[in-house]
Amino acid sequence: MRFGRSAKVLGMLSPAILLEIGLFFIPLAMLTIISFTEKESFFFKPVYTLDNYLDIFNFYGFDFQNTFTLVTAAAFVDVVLGYPFAYIMVRKIRRFADLFRSIMLIPLFGELYIAYGLWFVFLPGGPLSFIFDFLNIPISKALYSAPSAILGLAIYTFPFVVYNVGISLQEIERSFEEAARCLGAGAVQTFFRVTLPLSFPGMLSGWLMSFGWNLGAYAIPMIMGGVITGQRIISVKVYSTGLVTMNFGLSAALGVILVVISMIIFYVTLKATKGVLV
Amino acid sequence: MNRKTRSLLTTSAAYLYLIICCAVLLLPFIVTLVRSVSVAQPDGSVAFSLASYSEIYKQFWPKINTSLEIALFTIAIDTIIGIPAAYALTRYEFRGKKSLFALLNGVWYVPGVCYAMALVLAYYFVYKFFLGFWGFVAAYSCGFLFLMLLTCMVAFRHLDPRYEEAALCLGAGRLGTFLRVTLPLIGPGVTAGILLTFVLSFNEFITALLLTGPTRLKTAPLAVYSDIRMFGVRETVAAEATVLQLISLVVVVVYLKFIGTRYLRGVILI
Repeated sequence: MRFGRSAKVLGMLSPAILLEIGLFFIPLAMLTIISFTEKESFFFKPVYTLDNYLDIFNFYGFDFQNTFTLVTAAAFVDVVLGYPFAYIMVRKIRRFADLFRSIMLIPLFGELYIAYGLWFVFLPGGPLSFIFDFLNIPISKALYSAPSAILGLAIYTFPFVVYNVGISLQEIERSFEEAARCLGAGAVQTFFRVTLPLSFPGMLSGWLMSFGWNLGAYAIPMIMGGVITGQRIISVKVYSTGLVTMNFGLSAALGVILVVISMIIFYVTLKATKGVLV
Repeated sequence: MNRKTRSLLTTSAAYLYLIICCAVLLLPFIVTLVRSVSVAQPDGSVAFSLASYSEIYKQFWPKINTSLEIALFTIAIDTIIGIPAAYALTRYEFRGKKSLFALLNGVWYVPGVCYAMALVLAYYFVYKFFLGFWGFVAAYSCGFLFLMLLTCMVAFRHLDPRYEEAALCLGAGRLGTFLRVTLPLIGPGVTAGILLTFVLSFNEFITALLLTGPTRLKTAPLAVYSDIRMFGVRETVAAEATVLQLISLVVVVVYLKFIGTRYLRGVILI
């Protein structure tokens, strides 16, 4: 009987496990192995070497720095703007809440459309040009620059931050805040000394989630960022070294480093949220 | 200032903030839509016209068709694989369940470029028979299995096991119970997974960009991307991007109209 039960569980789970092993773990293992081979030699006669990682250490410092600057800034913008959004959604309003919730699905359509639409916005003569005229900034400088890429990335991951912060705000018991008010704290003091610290795990996981998602973003930096900020991004480098210059070893090594970084980030996220599904 | 005016002011400020944020989120879509229907006239003015849509219809429709087929096959495979797996993960206790769940979701936590690069290498080297249409279906059904698992697990967790026990007591078999009691009850929850899988796999672009080499197949979002790189400012390209977003938007609106946000909460929405 006991054997029958475990066989049944295994039967239900095995298609999913096989799919993930075949199409995720085997390719990932190949990526790791290829990252230790020289150029495209894996496909003919593998030459094992550590040069790829040394090359990355020596020549790709700027790309990592650039990527992390963009991604950190975008996550920061997201948390600063997303926290009030989630707070209002959870605490303040009843009417039209479903409408605002549904709009959170729009950025899921993909970074490509966000990048393309924002590109039109920042073109000379675009709908926001009056703001730039007012501030006396030439709009041609705004198009291919880091801030516009950060805006695009921030729009892309905004729903995840709102979701994570909102979940943690929903879990706070109202009696804590009521107790603070009864003991004489004002509304502002209650917020900063009770609500904000209690929702910190949500903020942290939202920040990390945005960070991890934007690490893999390709279209937004490519279309919005211009030559320096846009093309010296790790995700763009993985593509261009791999499939343009055919240096598979270097590309795989960059990919492995990116995978390790995002794995660490999501592990910390899962710990911070105590296993709340992200 | 009395209490009532103050609460009115706070509420309107709150709504204003939400509206501004949502306007920024919708801005890219609206700008693309406006660009696609406005055509510059010879005298410098801009006129409303749907000419760009009829222009792209012939050569763009087959690509949309390919993308839709890929998305539908992905949904079918994920539903068949995901529901039993989610059932086993919620209803049975066994050792190593948490780590197994983490392993099944690993692909969701890996940046898209790395997953695509790993797949390209595997397709070149191991799965040579997978090239073409089925390569895309396989890649997406592995990549988006997580969404189906998550929504189904949330649905199963909200379902009271007593219904199934009652059916079993009354003489239905295991399979009969699953098909006639469990599946109808979790159906709406599964549709949330179907919606998310559709939206993400129909618009997926980075895996398509890397896989287009070995598979020699161009999906609709990839065609949009390469057109943007070639001649971005043309209104035909904007029309292509708008068509794809409108298809996704119609699916989302129809879903929200009939089922609402209930089953998406706790998965991706607060």
